[in-house]
Amino acid sequence: MHRRLTSLLATTAAAALLVGCTAEATPASGDPVTGGTLVYATGDAEPTCLDPHVGGNYPQALIATQYLESLVSKDTDGEVIPWLADSWQVSDDGLSWEFTLKEGVTFTDGTPLTSAAVAANVAHVQDPATASSTGYLALAKVTGVEEVDELTARITLSSPDSGLLDSLSQTWLAIQSPTALERTQEENCEAPVGTGPFMVEAWDRQESVTLSRNDDYSSPPADAAHTGAAYLDGIEWRFIPDSASRYAALQSGTVDVIDNVQPDTIVAAEDDDAIDHIDAPRPGASNRLELNSSVTPFDDILVREAFIRSANVDDAVSSLFFGTAERSYSALSSVETLGVSDESLFEYDPDAANDLLDEAGWTGRDADGYRTKDGETLALTFPVSTNQSIPAEQSLFEQLQSTAAETGFRVDLEPLDLASWYAALGENDYDLVSAPYTKVGADVLRILFDTSGTVPAPSGYFANHAQVKDPEVDALLAQASATSDAGERAELYAEVQQRVLEGFYILPLYDQQNHYLHSTDVQGMRALPTVSTPALYDAWLGR
Amino acid sequence: MAGSLTPTAHPTARPGGAGRPRTRLPALRWLLLRLGGAVFVVWAVATVTFFAIRLIPGDPAEAIVGGPGSQASDEALAEARADYGLDQPLPVQYLQYLGRLLRGDLGRSYALRDDVTTVIGENVGGTLTLAVASLALASVIALALAVWSARGGRAAGAVTSLLEIVAAAVPHFWLAISLILLFSSTLGWLPPVSVPGPLGLVLPVVTLALPLSGFLGQVMRESLLTALSSPFVLAARARGEGDSGVFWRHALRHAAIPAIGLAGWAFGALISGAVVVETIFARPGIGRSLLSAVQGRDVPLVTGIVISVAIVYMIVTTLTDLADRLVDPRLREEAR
Repeated sequence: MHRRLTSLLATTAAAALLVGCTAEATPASGDPVTGGTLVYATGDAEPTCLDPHVGGNYPQALIATQYLESLVSKDTDGEVIPWLADSWQVSDDGLSWEFTLKEGVTFTDGTPLTSAAVAANVAHVQDPATASSTGYLALAKVTGVEEVDELTARITLSSPDSGLLDSLSQTWLAIQSPTALERTQEENCEAPVGTGPFMVEAWDRQESVTLSRNDDYSSPPADAAHTGAAYLDGIEWRFIPDSASRYAALQSGTVDVIDNVQPDTIVAAEDDDAIDHIDAPRPGASNRLELNSSVTPFDDILVREAFIRSANVDDAVSSLFFGTAERSYSALSSVETLGVSDESLFEYDPDAANDLLDEAGWTGRDADGYRTKDGETLALTFPVSTNQSIPAEQSLFEQLQSTAAETGFRVDLEPLDLASWYAALGENDYDLVSAPYTKVGADVLRILFDTSGTVPAPSGYFANHAQVKDPEVDALLAQASATSDAGERAELYAEVQQRVLEGFYILPLYDQQNHYLHSTDVQGMRALPTVSTPALYDAWLGR
Repeated sequence: MAGSLTPTAHPTARPGGAGRPRTRLPALRWLLLRLGGAVFVVWAVATVTFFAIRLIPGDPAEAIVGGPGSQASDEALAEARADYGLDQPLPVQYLQYLGRLLRGDLGRSYALRDDVTTVIGENVGGTLTLAVASLALASVIALALAVWSARGGRAAGAVTSLLEIVAAAVPHFWLAISLILLFSSTLGWLPPVSVPGPLGLVLPVVTLALPLSGFLGQVMRESLLTALSSPFVLAARARGEGDSGVFWRHALRHAAIPAIGLAGWAFGALISGAVVVETIFARPGIGRSLLSAVQGRDVPLVTGIVISVAIVYMIVTTLTDLADRLVDPRLREEAR
């Protein structure tokens, strides 16, 4: 079957959307004004390389969204829409995808956008010397790129991949100038060259990256609010690691936009008429506790369910996040349209938890009141990454620790730095863990729950922390990946999720939080519906 | 230690034996000894950091290809290991590292993909500006407190003593956030983060200077009071010096001596304070580089910064000792 999406369809949708962000869109008031430099302050780590092909983390995606563009994007309904590619079609066997590129697009170094550029970018991501990890994984099934004609690139696959478009929409697979990619990695990391509305002017380490407007810009995604060059003269991209000073900088007008906003700050900003809030949860997985089913006591589904029933998540979330985070009952982020949610499986019920533990044989009690079985205490090791869990989340874990203790679980929280945390996971020395995972599309389920995800990568990394090893799940995931029928795919992914949720492998908490605050002077800013990074192409300064 | 200003403290403090004939070269020998000691300290610092940072779990090659938990391929990791010599046995790596160190080569930062010396060179200016300005402000505050307490009577003494203790006890991060809340968020007078020009320097400098002024003030006040009650002050008065002459020309000089002696320590305190202050106020500098290098397990950058700080620390303490000898004639007397 040939599937074809035309830009026409998507542009009509875009016109209706105008400014779309996932929750609170910024109302554009008045006519856009050209000019001015927007100051953006990020709390994420300063990237070590501005090219998101190299490594591939969220801080890189945040800034690269301003100067690099992908073949496709997504709208707020989760539909894939044209960006650098006008249209695409997949072969009947699902093994080759033909992308027709937008005409007349040039990179900011003057190189034209052609199929050769697509080939060069795929080769760049797949080259071990690039040390790509996120992009590399997403292209795992890609065997090569054929240049059919100047504007047609055919991507060939080793096996069908229904998540390919989702993968290609991510900033980590953005298309860069092939001429620029031929430079040394140092040079390309310093100032990658793309087709985006802005370009990298200078990088003053630890201070800021200066971005200037690309006056010849001609390739907005189908859901953009305008065409032509960006309104802003440029962006000063600052690195302000401390949350309190970042907010103070926004209040004092030193900066216009901040990210990584903490719950207490969001609440404080609600009272400030000069500040607007954009809530843009990240795609992929929800933030959840994963229960390691490969070792005792969680190798017993009764104990897994008992733990989930013993944890009073709702009260903890509302008291620690002040209503800024909504409780999730799904393995997937709420922005994922294929997510399945089942509240009934996660109700706080200490009585049921006690019964389950009795049934599982954890009937004894030690001196501290924790349950025991054959002289062993019901203890859970919970390594916590202090880099990845915000303070409110760490407090949440402490509250779960105390509610679980009422049922007789002893939860041992171990705050660790990132390297030690990964080491603990690699040594299978954990019962509980919370690990965020950002990826566009339901294919993230394959990464999180396929048996192959329990096998560590060369670096020791693995993503299936719940250690779900269910042949049925594997089969469903493989089918979902291979099918080209959207309805069938949705059903298969729903079935996977149902099995995972009913197996009590995870305790969903809330979406992976991603909040922006900006001065009301900033109009037309939105979060890109792909990886929820800030899109400033339509933004203008109304001061 | 230069704090011992009471005349009784000196006669006994003569290591090396009294009465042994001395040459005119003790200054040179003293300098050579200091230099040898400095080299030893730098070597020790280099060795300890080299091995300590390897105790952190995880593979340093991961730090090169995108940080801990990177999903890098085998090839990428192997390439990174070969590039940075991490495929060699640890003793070999250590010797290579010492060899490079001798040539003044601090290696290449994993994360920044740049020479460590370049990274330090780019960032040292910000930290030095901060440190020098803070030291100056702290000295002025400490001096003001000392003078006021010496001349303002009993009440002033009690108040300054309390102020100094409070100032010395305040942690940098608390002070920084409080100053931001007061002067940026509430009053809107000063920018909360670094901006071009001197205005952005105000809050970070005050944050670093206040606790330091507490320490300096305590020491200066003590020695000022001791000096004022010393026989030489009486002698000066006997010669007909007036109150202010005695105070400014004689006693105050003595108050400066312990402060100079503390400069080496103050430098260390300023660098550790810079880690916090540069991060909170988003200022580029060595402290912030060090923090992100530790978090990112950037071994060459961590060792490079620690060694550089150790070297500068050795230079500062040597210079202060030298300054002590110049300012305080008694130390030179002793050497004869």
